[in-house]
Amino acid sequence: MKRLSLLLSLILGLLPALRAAEATPATPGREAWVMHFDGDWRIAGGLPEKALLIGLQGLANRSAPRLYIVHAASFPWEITGPLQDFYERKHGVHFTELKTAGEALGCFARYAKGYVVWDPAVMPTMNVAYTIAGLEDAVVVTPALIALAERHGLKKIDDLRGRYAGQTDAQIYTDAKRRYWARCSHDQLILLGGQRGDIRIPGIADWGVRQKMFFHDLSANPAQADELALEKQFFSELNPGGTIFGWHVYGKDTEEQHTTLISTYGLKMEGLQSLPNLSFNCQFTFTPGFKFTNNHHVARDTKLVAEQKVYISFVQSDGIGIGVWTKPGRGRLPLAWGAIMGWVHFSPAALEYFHESATPNDYFIGGLSGPSYMYPNHIPANRFGLLMREADDLMKVLDERIFEIMDNSAADGNLGNADLTKETVDRYYAAFPDVAGFINGYGPARTRDLRDTRPLISYDYYIDPRRPRDEVAADMNELIALNAKRPYFLLVHVRESNDVNSVVEVVQQLTGPVEVVPLDVFMKLAASKQTYTTRYQDPADPKHFKGY
Amino acid sequence: MKPTLLKLLLGLGLLPLAVLAGDPAFNGRWRLDPARSTALDGWSTADVVIAADAGKVGFHYDMTWHTTKVSVDQAVDTAQPVAVTNFFRIDQRHMAVYARPHEAATVAATWLDDGRTLRLEAQVPVETSQGNTTMRLYQEFRLLEGGNELELIELHSTRPRPLVYHFTRVAGEAAKK
Repeated sequence: MKRLSLLLSLILGLLPALRAAEATPATPGREAWVMHFDGDWRIAGGLPEKALLIGLQGLANRSAPRLYIVHAASFPWEITGPLQDFYERKHGVHFTELKTAGEALGCFARYAKGYVVWDPAVMPTMNVAYTIAGLEDAVVVTPALIALAERHGLKKIDDLRGRYAGQTDAQIYTDAKRRYWARCSHDQLILLGGQRGDIRIPGIADWGVRQKMFFHDLSANPAQADELALEKQFFSELNPGGTIFGWHVYGKDTEEQHTTLISTYGLKMEGLQSLPNLSFNCQFTFTPGFKFTNNHHVARDTKLVAEQKVYISFVQSDGIGIGVWTKPGRGRLPLAWGAIMGWVHFSPAALEYFHESATPNDYFIGGLSGPSYMYPNHIPANRFGLLMREADDLMKVLDERIFEIMDNSAADGNLGNADLTKETVDRYYAAFPDVAGFINGYGPARTRDLRDTRPLISYDYYIDPRRPRDEVAADMNELIALNAKRPYFLLVHVRESNDVNSVVEVVQQLTGPVEVVPLDVFMKLAASKQTYTTRYQDPADPKHFKGY
Repeated sequence: MKPTLLKLLLGLGLLPLAVLAGDPAFNGRWRLDPARSTALDGWSTADVVIAADAGKVGFHYDMTWHTTKVSVDQAVDTAQPVAVTNFFRIDQRHMAVYARPHEAATVAATWLDDGRTLRLEAQVPVETSQGNTTMRLYQEFRLLEGGNELELIELHSTRPRPLVYHFTRVAGEAAKK
């Protein structure tokens, strides 16, 4: 089995290279183009042009990495600028800036065969248009942008105006499924959700167009039974191990509902709908000679013994690159980071960028719950082992030893029941014999265990970025007082929009024999003396969402 | 009868009446003013309905967080400590500190300051990552001048800072919701 695992690991390591070889290899001296987007994503403002450009990016990047987008400082993914710099430095990419949609079409219209018109008054038509764009090599335009497309020699392929007027989302996507689904990828699906109202951020649409995926924003809310039924059809028709890219629709359903549904089918979730540049990023492999070397602070077989202290460890588990990484203060205290393991396949340069810019205090961990974001209490038993083998292999590529689990299927946002059943915990212990331990939760949770030298510790505290720092310190001091046995192991989740400097400020206000330690040291210490209870999800614990 | 003895007897006789009687202005629905309160953690809004009747004081809490709605009823008695199952406090929900279901807190209640302050002292059973423990909790509900503002000051044996919640009276029809 270990040999198979090693082989898989080698193959996984080579995947980006193989994929790059399928297209034009990314070699030093490559020419590419860059556009700088502002933060206007209003349907009645900047969205139509951006939607056109992102779709065009998917077509332009089909056979080679040509077009890259740098987003405004306010954009959810803060790494687009630093990553452009990384491509210049490490891959020798020379970027030429394109300032207007006209310039972009002038460069790249040759990769399109025409245009599809979508109707801003019927927003699902944008998703249908993107589906057609991938299949027919089209750009997506609103009526106002038809003239621009035609000025660059593009002819109409389809016009969705009027086709879906007055129809429900379920009716629209049922029709689109009948027309296009058979020709779309059955390994990947785009859930182009996120914002509602007057804003959309379809940052990931380039990837969906490039890969010929079906786009939708169906609800997983049982209250919208027709949409849920249709989405279940899609999921049941995806190939085993398929991936859902994007994010659920805010206000239509919840993250908990959608991730539960996806996990129930043994599928993988890769967020967010705003994630940019995958069509570009996927075509670069790691730089020659690069190998992931994590900042382990303790050797795999070392035994540590906990003293009469309060050991604290901080973890930032939201999609790396969304928040804290580029903010000042990183490196001032030990912080574990949930790297997005699936980026080995889709965005290897970004992972290399994170490793390159890591300080000795930055430590990468695997997750989330599987090879990507899943809720393990709902993964079918016959899929669990395969998925976790994939995750374990990715951890080996990334030199990671601690695995993070999260199951919010019964929670309400970052609160409530985030616990694992004993059956789920048993499965993890069986699937990851080589890890140093597991952590669990997002908000606080109370699943805990210790088997051989592998602890499973849940978060005892979640730092809400909006909570005043003196109250955060008071909360943590109260936890220290309530958990009076020593050693006390206090695992803290740092929400992505906290900045590290403010966490340092909190630590300075803590009382008692406190020591902040890196997560791998924390796990070794927690293995040495179990002062925490063993606990799993209690069937009597309240569940906010009962499931499907 | 000596005047001092009379005073003593009167005192002994009247004292129970005094401590059993809260100011009627306590009664009604009160809504948390977040701007004048300690930051909530894991709650968006908080209402408390107080119904004081002789020595018995009833509390009805209506709490919200996103789509979560929690309503809790509990009652205390100023004449004697009572066992309150699932004792409710405005907890800090991002801490792994959980009420122990079906277990009772021992709660003593006292009217102070001529019935304008209600003091609660409770031993609250909680679960933490190290197991079961007890939090000693001290609350004062203070009716402020004018009778339309209420301050809840809460101390924990385990917390270095007080929690201060400022409520304003919800008047008329709105109070019924």
